[in-house]
Amino acid sequence: MTSPPSPPVPNLPARNGGTRSSLLVVAALSGASGLAAWAVKGSDSVVQGLAIAWGLALTILPVLGAALLLAGFVQAGIARDTISRWLGAESGFRGLAIATVAGAATPGGPMAAFPLVLALAAGGADRGALIAYITAWSLNGFQRILVWEIPILGPEFAALRFLASLPLPILAGLLARRLPPWRV
Amino acid sequence: MTATGILIWAVTIATGLALWRRDPPAIASGVRFAFGTLKSVLPVMILALPMAGFLTVLVPERFAAVLFGAETGLRGHLLATVVGAFIPGGPFVSFPIVLALWNSGAGAPQMVTLISAWSVLAINRVIVWEAPLMGWRFVWLRLLTGFWLPLASGLIAEALLALLPPGSIGR
Repeated sequence: MTSPPSPPVPNLPARNGGTRSSLLVVAALSGASGLAAWAVKGSDSVVQGLAIAWGLALTILPVLGAALLLAGFVQAGIARDTISRWLGAESGFRGLAIATVAGAATPGGPMAAFPLVLALAAGGADRGALIAYITAWSLNGFQRILVWEIPILGPEFAALRFLASLPLPILAGLLARRLPPWRV
Repeated sequence: MTATGILIWAVTIATGLALWRRDPPAIASGVRFAFGTLKSVLPVMILALPMAGFLTVLVPERFAAVLFGAETGLRGHLLATVVGAFIPGGPFVSFPIVLALWNSGAGAPQMVTLISAWSVLAINRVIVWEAPLMGWRFVWLRLLTGFWLPLASGLIAEALLALLPPGSIGR
């Protein structure tokens, strides 16, 4: 960033517009893909697509309830200020490991995660921890895995991807510490 | 209910019990969080599922096998990195796309690369959120330390799959 953030940026209010624009985007994409299916493969394919969607819904819905509750319990168990306390206190390899766990535990989209990074930077967390945190949030966000990945792609795939990505935030953090210094 | 569903419910109930023993009021806030998320996720999901269906119908049978199949090796991973980086939107866009590609023959490790590229490189998120909020310096630091991660995750996934009996993850 161009200047050190001070005072720490407070949590920006979650914007409802985010959900509304997601709805518009996904409605437009669904409509466009339906239209494309109709134009390319005829009206039978539209019915076929909807049948696939219905089958998916039947697999997803029973899992979704549990996934949302689990995400809620994890969220309630790990308060946001706990996350920042962990991150501020530790450095070294342990700091990177904690940042990785904290990043995966942070729920929500970019509006939730980036302001927290700004606050952590202002609170003195080192560059490696910030990178490990944001990388873990984007790669292995626990809430996204529970709510979207396991229901849509299945637990085996989700586990494979989770394990394959597990060490990477720490490696990115180590790399960030080794780059020539500049203010972040 | 499938075995997956039962397993996830079991984990959820166990986590809920553990939380209840430690901090009973937290249960209520966890349930509130779940319902709040459901209210925002459900409409998006209802609209996203038809897209997943239509894409599955639209993407030709062996299309993804040619581009991202298990035999495409490094080329498939690199292509998945580029394609993933440019998929815009949240998980409600990317996961249906991945499902459609997987159904038309893409390899699981290549799809790991694609999801990692979508989540780490996220060109769309960089422009809309990250650069304005964090500044380009942070963006460059993150991209410099992260550009190789999608490929790494895909190759690690390939190594992990090689340890498992064939066919344990597939479509």
